[in-house]
Amino acid sequence: MTRPAAIAALLAVLAAWPGLAAAQTTAPRQKAPEGAQVYFHYPLDGLRVPERFTVRIGLRGMGVAPAGVAHARTGHHHLLIDTDPGPPDQPIPSDYNNIHLGNGQTEVVVTLPKGRHTLQLLLGDHTHTPHDPPVMSQKITVYVR
Amino acid sequence: MLRLAPALLWFGLAAVVALPLATAPAQERARQRSPAPQAAKLSFVGLADKAQVPGKLTVRFAITGMDVAPAGQAKRNAGHHHLLIDTELPPLDRPIPSDFNHIHFGGGQTEAEIALSPGRHTLQLLFADHDHVPHDPPVMSERITVEVATEAPEKPRSTAAPGARVFFVDLADGATIPARSRIRFGSEGITLTPAGTASPNGGHHHLLVDTELPALDREIPSDFNHLHFGRGQTEVELSLAPGEHTLQLLMGDHEHVPHDPPVMSDRIRVRVVADGSVASATPPQATTGGGRARTTSPNDAALYFIYPKDGETIFPTSTIRFGLRNMGVAPAGVAKPNTGHHHLLVDAEPPAFDRPIPADLNHIHLGGGQTEYRLTLPPGRHTLQLLLGDENHVPHDPPVASERITVTVMPGGPRAARRR
Repeated sequence: MTRPAAIAALLAVLAAWPGLAAAQTTAPRQKAPEGAQVYFHYPLDGLRVPERFTVRIGLRGMGVAPAGVAHARTGHHHLLIDTDPGPPDQPIPSDYNNIHLGNGQTEVVVTLPKGRHTLQLLLGDHTHTPHDPPVMSQKITVYVR
Repeated sequence: MLRLAPALLWFGLAAVVALPLATAPAQERARQRSPAPQAAKLSFVGLADKAQVPGKLTVRFAITGMDVAPAGQAKRNAGHHHLLIDTELPPLDRPIPSDFNHIHFGGGQTEAEIALSPGRHTLQLLFADHDHVPHDPPVMSERITVEVATEAPEKPRSTAAPGARVFFVDLADGATIPARSRIRFGSEGITLTPAGTASPNGGHHHLLVDTELPALDREIPSDFNHLHFGRGQTEVELSLAPGEHTLQLLMGDHEHVPHDPPVMSDRIRVRVVADGSVASATPPQATTGGGRARTTSPNDAALYFIYPKDGETIFPTSTIRFGLRNMGVAPAGVAKPNTGHHHLLVDAEPPAFDRPIPADLNHIHLGGGQTEYRLTLPPGRHTLQLLLGDENHVPHDPPVASERITVTVMPGGPRAARRR
């Protein structure tokens, strides 16, 4: 691969990004109440966990509602495994790294291979889009033994 | 910095101009595929071509010569699994699509439980790098065909004694009943056992409301038309809209599968009239706005305190945290199966389960879907209990409640108590 081509591709992507983002944001994002916080009851940062464990989720200052239910001051949980949150004005993707708890669940059983993994919680509104400002936990690291 | 800016701008402009021409080929070339060792081998564990499999099966993957790493982690000679169901190989020079036919195991999973419909299916494994792009050369298993038996279910149905029967008590075909009435079920020649308890010639009731018989060789569905009585209940308080309705009883075994032969009642027709038109032993109660019966809950639902635990000493103002297993939380007023909202009962006996939970200082409603509550209590011993309510604040059937715990509130909090 030639270097100019790579640079051009990179710049093309960079140039296209803001345009893409602007085109896809139609509805304004839901406001998050001040002091809202999502956090892990279990596991905690740095903990050693078995391969199969239950992630328990706490939420302060807001309520839980299933996906599709547009109520003020509510959202549903997303568990991000070994991944970073995407752009906050886009719906959270749905794949094996971004686990949606769209039925309003407040805990989820995950099975992970041995080793180091990161977990992060991110609240999404009825359209799976993070709030403004995003309500997310710190990114924690667990060691699956 | 200042001198760089125009250069960057120029590059940007050039890129935009070049975009329609350059992007496609450049991106394809930009995604250089990760190399894979020649010896790498991917296969299914214990699953051979042309195997007969149950509809729900656990598929295990074995990779040799490479490592499993979660998606997003670029590592040499590593990748994560993808299971291709009923589909050809995707293009190998771009990310594997993510849909029902291409299942990603980006967490680094090495097994998966999948459900297949009866018939023939193809399965193939494909390994891919951190960007979901297959390696070069691609590491994949052979494409195998499995067959899910159409006729034979996973296991034989439980047998029922020849004379076993179920019937409605004091409710005949064509009867007229009030909008809210108690329906009683009887059984003969079969033992009532709760769901989950396997016993010969045992089972539990299911009430089919306004619906045909379900398939008899599989689990009875659980929804508003198929009410489960997994605790072995023999009656239900049912709310029906005025008009004509049909009711039928069907016994299910410990796994909610009808027996062989099925034990069921006749499908009876009832006419429901508005309350007051019929003299009734059970007076109508102010409850659901048009729902039928109480909202059912899954049998494995559990509600518990994350904080505090039974017997603990807490501060006068403490945040009480709730945990809920196998159900979801929804604000009051939102009707969605398998959801409800929390109620915190402070120093109160559990209320009646067939009417809305009262709203007062002892029954704290968390109708906004909250999962924790900051509670202030006077010093002394107190009891706390959680009770889930449906969209109308009525407990589910069976009710989803936590154990009732006792906590001690110390004037100075738990630390003062310990220091003593």
